[in-house]
Amino acid sequence: MRSRYALRFLALGYLALLLGIPVGLVFANAFQDGISVAWDAVTTPEAQHAFYLTLVMVAVAVPLNTIFGVLAALAIVRQRFRGRALLNAAIDLPFAVSPVVVGLALLLVYGRRDGWVGGWFADQGIQIIFSTPGMILATMFVSLPFVAREVIPVLREIGTEQEQAAATLGAGPLQTFFRVTLPAIRWGVAYGVVLTTARALGEFGAVSVVSGKLSGQTETATLFVENRFQRFDETGAYAASVVLALLAFGTLLAMNLIKPKEAQT
Amino acid sequence: MSIVVDSVSKRFGEFVALDDVSLEVRDGSLTALLGPSGGGKSTLLRVIAGLETPDAGTVEIAGKDATQDPPQRRNVGFVFQHYAAFKHMTVANNVAFGLTIRKRAGRRRLARTARSRADEIDARVDELLKLVHLDGFAHRYPSQLSGGQRQRMALARALAVQPRVLLLDEPFGALDATVRKELRAWLRRLHDEVHVTTVFVTHDQEEAMEVAEQIVVLNEGRIEQVGSPQELYEKPANEFVMGFVGPVSELSGRWIRPHDVDILREPAGGAAEAMIDRIVHLGFEVRVELSLGDGERTWVQTTKAQAEELELSEGEIVWLRPNAPATDALSDEPIPA
Repeated sequence: MRSRYALRFLALGYLALLLGIPVGLVFANAFQDGISVAWDAVTTPEAQHAFYLTLVMVAVAVPLNTIFGVLAALAIVRQRFRGRALLNAAIDLPFAVSPVVVGLALLLVYGRRDGWVGGWFADQGIQIIFSTPGMILATMFVSLPFVAREVIPVLREIGTEQEQAAATLGAGPLQTFFRVTLPAIRWGVAYGVVLTTARALGEFGAVSVVSGKLSGQTETATLFVENRFQRFDETGAYAASVVLALLAFGTLLAMNLIKPKEAQT
Repeated sequence: MSIVVDSVSKRFGEFVALDDVSLEVRDGSLTALLGPSGGGKSTLLRVIAGLETPDAGTVEIAGKDATQDPPQRRNVGFVFQHYAAFKHMTVANNVAFGLTIRKRAGRRRLARTARSRADEIDARVDELLKLVHLDGFAHRYPSQLSGGQRQRMALARALAVQPRVLLLDEPFGALDATVRKELRAWLRRLHDEVHVTTVFVTHDQEEAMEVAEQIVVLNEGRIEQVGSPQELYEKPANEFVMGFVGPVSELSGRWIRPHDVDILREPAGGAAEAMIDRIVHLGFEVRVELSLGDGERTWVQTTKAQAEELELSEGEIVWLRPNAPATDALSDEPIPA
């Protein structure tokens, strides 16, 4: 009995120390001068633009990475080809590489003056670095692995028999995918989407390198928090943090709401 | 519809699954592919269904070359050992799957309203669920069914599209013994009702003999023999078939069915002397284990009545004599190379 309580205490205590108390303090600090002060801090034009930009990152990176993740998982699990192991390993690269390095790598490729293809894009009138496209690329890079990593084990587990059964019943490859495979992997995809969204919302390092940090132009929510903090606007920094935290909670909550109540079959 | 398999070979890496196999399945027949695991029987079934592409040879279904057709164009029903149920769909939607796919595949030109087509599908699903005794389960999910019920659902799903041939891959392999027996008899009756050309894979000779009209014995990627259950039992083409389709015992260096041996209390011409080691009572059947003069061991299958009449007991000396011409089954049949 005692060891059982000890285990619970340890788990909950660890969580409180690492997560609960710090996040709680962020909330407390954000509202220390009252809710209206906090509200004003996150409704300035700069703050609104920062949240808008973060949502743009999410809106582009999440669907694209979801489609890529599902296709990559299908290729890795269902097909045999040269380079399959390489693809499997490469998907994990964003986990291994520090976001700052990702940002610098993007500079090397798309930088306007020294970048590999940046000059060509600049000639076409497209600015990538220090602009939204570069920030989207950075966000996509760091949030790339989640959907594939969640879907691959589910695909392995369901096997190929349901797909073969669908084929013998007259379903073509697309019908089989949309009516059999996708429903079977949907919770893997959903969880991958949640993780991708959370990562895209919170990305700081890579975006920071390629953004140029122009307040009201190339400043995402996380960059806005840093900016406010460094200018000793603590209320602004904490209030924006609260909004980011709420967005993340909302994502998790949405996932739990759409999940069916009955036991997984 | 008839199936003609001509000179089909299939390798998986170094492993030869099918080695120049040719086979004809008559329209409306019920055929078993029988053999040990790894013998090629499942591969042959999957080649017929289009789930595997042969390295060489052709497959004809209903008189047309289907070798290059993908499975969805072959119009075959396929039942998997582990059911392959669509877990996210109800039983009714599982069964309706093939029908709704076809609805989309261009039946619209028949100028029916979508409504009447949907009613038609519902009616057909009801009919099929009755056929497999699953009426009342339409709105359940596969996870709420037993193994036997799931397999019947899979069968209804395969039959829904009115396939030209029905293929079953070890359909009862994952079920427990009583359900197996029940479903075997039921499959037999179903075939009498529906008359669709049916091929099923099994490694169980009893199952093959009980259900099939024609048995194809496959071993190491080759066909050993094709014939009716009786033919295989009484005139096996070689030792492999003889050993696979029934019990075998050895008497004076010859293979023989253990019930084709008489036990005599007195010496007689052509009879070999033996000592009874053990008598095993299995109800109606009695199994007598003996040692021959040269120390070789053998066994004879007899009935309870005969054993009692002869008053057999362990340790006694008796004489054994083959009692039927069929005993020497292999001598007048050439063994294929």
